Amino acid sequence: MLSKRGAKWAAAALATSLPFLLTACSAADQTAWNRGLLPGEVDAQGNGVTNHTATIVKLWTDSWAVLWGVGIIAWAIMVYALIAYRRRKGDNTPPPQLRYNNPIETLFTVVPMILVVGFFAFTAKSMTSIETPITNPDVKIQAIGKQWSWDFNYVKENTFEPGIQGNSETITDESNLPTLWLPSNSKIEIALSSRDVDHSFWVIDFLYKKDMLPGKTNHMYFETTTQTGTFRGKCAELCGEYHSMMLFNVKIVSPAEYQTHIESLKASGNVGQLDDSYNRNQNLPGDNVSNEG
Amino acid sequence: MATATANSLSTKKKSKGQIVVDWITTTDHKKIGYLYLITSFIYFLIGGVMALMIRGQLFEPGMQMIQNKEQYNQLFTMHGTIMLLMFATPLFAAFANILMPVQIGAPDVAFPRLNAIAYWFYFFGSLVAVSSYFTPQGAASFGWFAYVPLSSSTFSPGIGGDLWVFGLALGGFGTIMGGVNFVTTILTMRAPGMTMFRLPVFTWNTLVTSILIIMCFPPLAAALFALGADRRFGAHIFDPANGGPMLWQHLFWFFGHPEVYILALPFFGIISEIFPVFSRKPIFGYKTLVYATIAIAALSMTVWAHHMYVTGSVLLPFFAFTTMLIAVPTGVKVFNWLGTLWKGSISFETPMLWALGFLTTFIFGGLTGVILASPTLDFNLSDGYFVVAHFHYVIFGTVVFAMFAGIFFWYPKMTGKMLNERLGKIQFWLLFIGFHATFLVQHWIGIAGMPRRYATYLEGDNVTWMNQLSTYGSIVLAISFLPFLWNVWITHRKGQRTNLDDPWGYGRSLEWATASPFPRHNFTSIPRVRSESPAFDLHHPEFAAPEAQAAAKKG
Amino acid sequence: MKFNANMLWFLTAFYFVDAVGYAVWFALGETNDKAAESWFGFPFEPIGTAAILMLSIMSAFIGFYVQKTAKNQGQVPEDRLDANIEDGDTEIGFFAPWSWWPFFLGMFAALAFASLAVGWWMMFIAFPLALVALIGFVFEHSRGRFAH
Repeated sequence: MLSKRGAKWAAAALATSLPFLLTACSAADQTAWNRGLLPGEVDAQGNGVTNHTATIVKLWTDSWAVLWGVGIIAWAIMVYALIAYRRRKGDNTPPPQLRYNNPIETLFTVVPMILVVGFFAFTAKSMTSIETPITNPDVKIQAIGKQWSWDFNYVKENTFEPGIQGNSETITDESNLPTLWLPSNSKIEIALSSRDVDHSFWVIDFLYKKDMLPGKTNHMYFETTTQTGTFRGKCAELCGEYHSMMLFNVKIVSPAEYQTHIESLKASGNVGQLDDSYNRNQNLPGDNVSNEG
Repeated sequence: MATATANSLSTKKKSKGQIVVDWITTTDHKKIGYLYLITSFIYFLIGGVMALMIRGQLFEPGMQMIQNKEQYNQLFTMHGTIMLLMFATPLFAAFANILMPVQIGAPDVAFPRLNAIAYWFYFFGSLVAVSSYFTPQGAASFGWFAYVPLSSSTFSPGIGGDLWVFGLALGGFGTIMGGVNFVTTILTMRAPGMTMFRLPVFTWNTLVTSILIIMCFPPLAAALFALGADRRFGAHIFDPANGGPMLWQHLFWFFGHPEVYILALPFFGIISEIFPVFSRKPIFGYKTLVYATIAIAALSMTVWAHHMYVTGSVLLPFFAFTTMLIAVPTGVKVFNWLGTLWKGSISFETPMLWALGFLTTFIFGGLTGVILASPTLDFNLSDGYFVVAHFHYVIFGTVVFAMFAGIFFWYPKMTGKMLNERLGKIQFWLLFIGFHATFLVQHWIGIAGMPRRYATYLEGDNVTWMNQLSTYGSIVLAISFLPFLWNVWITHRKGQRTNLDDPWGYGRSLEWATASPFPRHNFTSIPRVRSESPAFDLHHPEFAAPEAQAAAKKG
Repeated sequence: MKFNANMLWFLTAFYFVDAVGYAVWFALGETNDKAAESWFGFPFEPIGTAAILMLSIMSAFIGFYVQKTAKNQGQVPEDRLDANIEDGDTEIGFFAPWSWWPFFLGMFAALAFASLAVGWWMMFIAFPLALVALIGFVFEHSRGRFAH
C-alpha cells in the first residue's frame, strides 16, 4: 500500500503540468486511456454501461484530441516567440512596429469558426440521440429527490422503495444507500421530480445527470446493456446541509433477478406508489404543486 | 502655520484626521480607484482564507476541520460571493477608475460624485452582505447562485440570507452607476485627436465591459429584489407552482454569464497593454481585437443557459451554438496577443511574467470551456469539480494574474515608486506553481465523479490523494502572498522614487506621458495624439506611427 | 461618438434577430413541457425571449440617444484624426473637488437596504436619513454658495 502511494506522489509531481498522463491505478489502465479517463468500464462484449456512454466517450476523446492540438499550437507559438524574440543584451532598438496582417488575422478567425461549426454538428447529433424519448420503455421508474434521500417508484410494477437519509456513519457501507434496481438489456425511462428543493440525479458511470426541480417532471431515457453491477450515484445540485450525504446506488442485474427483487419489494408490503402526497409544504399557497407533466 | 505660496500648495503636513477626511470625501477618480483597489484586495484575502478552509476540510474524508456541513455551505457560498462580487467586479472599477481617464486624456470622469457614490455603495453593500456572518444562524449557505427553492425562507430561513440578498442588491446598483460613468466619460471626454480607434485597448475593454454591466446588472437587481420580496414580504414570485425555480435560474444566469465576461474583459485589456510594452511593438491586429471584444460582449448576453443544460428545460442546441461561437472571438484575442509577441523584442520584467502566466493559464481554461459548451459532455461534468477547475482557470487565471500584472506595471504611476522586481518574481513563481498544483488536478477529480459543494467525500470515491494534492497546492498559493505583502511594505518604507514619466521605457498610452505619480488632474500638458500609442510616439519619434511622424514633420 | 451610436444600433439589430431566432427555434422543437405550451399553443420560452428582446429595446434607447447627441454635437476635435490638443475646449466642465454626500448616501442607503432584511423599525430611522442624503447630494451644487 505504501509503495503504491509513493508512486502516486511521484506521479503527482508531474501532475502539476500534465494530469492526463497519470495512469489510473486499476487493472483497466489501457481502457481508461482509451476512454479519455472517463469512468465506467466497457465489458467483454464491448458494451458500455448504457447505450449512450459510447457516444459520449467518443465525442470526449475526439474533442480533446482537437483541443489539445489547438492548445499545443498556441503554447508552442508562445514559447517559440519568447525564446526566439527575447531581447538580447544591449539591444535597445524597438523592432518593426507591425500593427496588422490581414491574411493571418482572417486565417485565425476562419479556422476556429470551422472547428466550432464541426464541433456543434457532432454535439447536436449526440445530444439529440441522448435526449430523444423512448416511446415504449420496458421499465418506467419515478425517482423523487427529497432532502436528503431518494424515493424510487417502479411505475409499471406498482411498487416502490423509500430512501432514508444517510449519515456519516451509515453511508460508508454501500448496503445502507437507497438502491435503484434495473434489468439489463432493457429500455428504461426515469421520471425525475423533487419533493422540496432542486436536486440532481447523477449516476457517474452513466456519464449523465439531470436535475430534479419541484413543480416539474424531467425525464431521462437510456437502455441498459449486457453490463451488470452496482453503480454509484450522487446528488449533483446543492440542496442544503446534507447534500454530500445524498448518495444512492443503481444496481443493474439480469431481468430474472430484477423480477425477484420486485417480488420481494411487493412481499414486504411496498405496493402502490410514493406519490406527491409525501411532498413537503403542502399547506402553503403555491407550493402544493403537481409533479405530473 | 505655513504661509500660503503663490500656487497655494500647502507644505504643512496633513494630520491623520485630515487624511481620513480627504479619502472619505474624495471625488478624484484616482483616489476612488485606490479605495476600490485596497478594499477589493482585502476581500480577496478574506475570500482566500475561506478557500483555504475549504481545501483544509477537503483534505481527507470526514468532518475533521469544519464543525458541521451548514458551516461548510456558508463557507463556499461566501467564498464565491466575495470573490466574484466583492473582489473581482470592484477590481475592474479600480483599474478603470485609476487609468481610463488618464488614458483618454481627461481630467476626471464625467460624474465624479456619482463615482464616489458607486464606491460607497459597494463598500457599505458588501458590509451588509458580509455582516450576515455575525448573525446567530450565520451567513447565507445556499451557494452564490442562490437557487430557489433552497434560497427561499422555507428552506433557508434566517436573516443571514436576507442580508446577503439586500447587500448584494445595493452593491449591484453601485456597479451600474460605475458603468454609466465610464461609458459617458469615454464617449464625451476624450482628448482632441483621441478617436475611438486610437483608444488604448484597456479603455476599449472598459467601454465594452461598462455596456455589459448596464445590460446585465439590472436583471440581477430585479431578481434579488424579487427573492427578497419572497423571503421577507410574503411574495410568491419564485413559487414552484409558478415555475419559480426555472425563472430564478434564467434571471440569475442572464446576469451570471455576462458577469464572468465583465470579470474577464477588463483584465484582457490590462494584458493587451502589457504585452506591447514589453515586446516593444504595438498590439497586433488592433481593429480585429476591438471587433472581437464587441463580439464577445454581444454574444455573452445570449449564452446564459449553458449553465442550465441539465435542467431539461432549455433549448440545448441554441445555447450550445452561441457558446461555442464565443470561442471564436476569444481565440482571435489569444492569437492577437501571440502576434504581439511575434517578432518583438521581449523582456521579462515582472509585469510581463504575470501576463505570460495569464496567457498560459487562460489557454487551458479556454479549452475546458469548449468541452463544457457541448451539452453531451456537460451532462456528465456539470456541477462537478471539472467545472470548478475550469472557472478557476479562466477567472483566477485572468483576474488574479492580470491584477498583479497591472499592479506591478502601474505602481510607479500610482505611487511614484517601483515595486521590487526580485520579490515580484519569487511571488510569481510561487503563485504559478501553487495555482496549477491546486486546480489542475481538480479536472480529474471532477471526471472521477466528485460533485461540487460536497462538504466531504468517501474513501471509496478514490479522490482522496487528488484532494490532498490540491490542498498542498493551495498552501503554496497562500504562501505566495507573503512576498507580495512584504514587497508593498518595503516599497512603501524604503522604495526609491522614480522621477520618470515612463519608467519601463516603452510605454505606449497617455498615462506614460505624464508624471509619476499622477498629477491631481492627470496632466500638466497632453502630447499630440496621432495613433493608439501617443506616449510611445512622443518618446520614440523614430519609431512612431506613420501619422504621428507625418504630423511631427508638419510641425 | 457616431461610431458608438452605430455600435449600439448593431447591438439592437443583433439582439432582435437573436430574440426572434430563439423564439422560432424553441417553437420548432419538441418539448414535453406543458407549461411551455400553455402560452400560445406552441412551445414558447417567455423568460429568455423577453430578456433578449428587452436587450434589443434597451440598445435602441441608448443608440437613439447617442445618435441624437452625436448629431447635435457635430464634429468634435476628439473625433478628428488631425486634431491638436489646443483645438479642444479650454473649459471642460465643473468637477466637484470633494463631497461628503456620497459617503453619507452610501452609509444610509446601506442602512435602508439592511432594514429590508432586519425589520421595519430600522427603516423608520434609515429611510429619512437616506432621503436627506439623496436630496443633499442632488442639490449640493445648487444651494448655498452655488445657488442660482
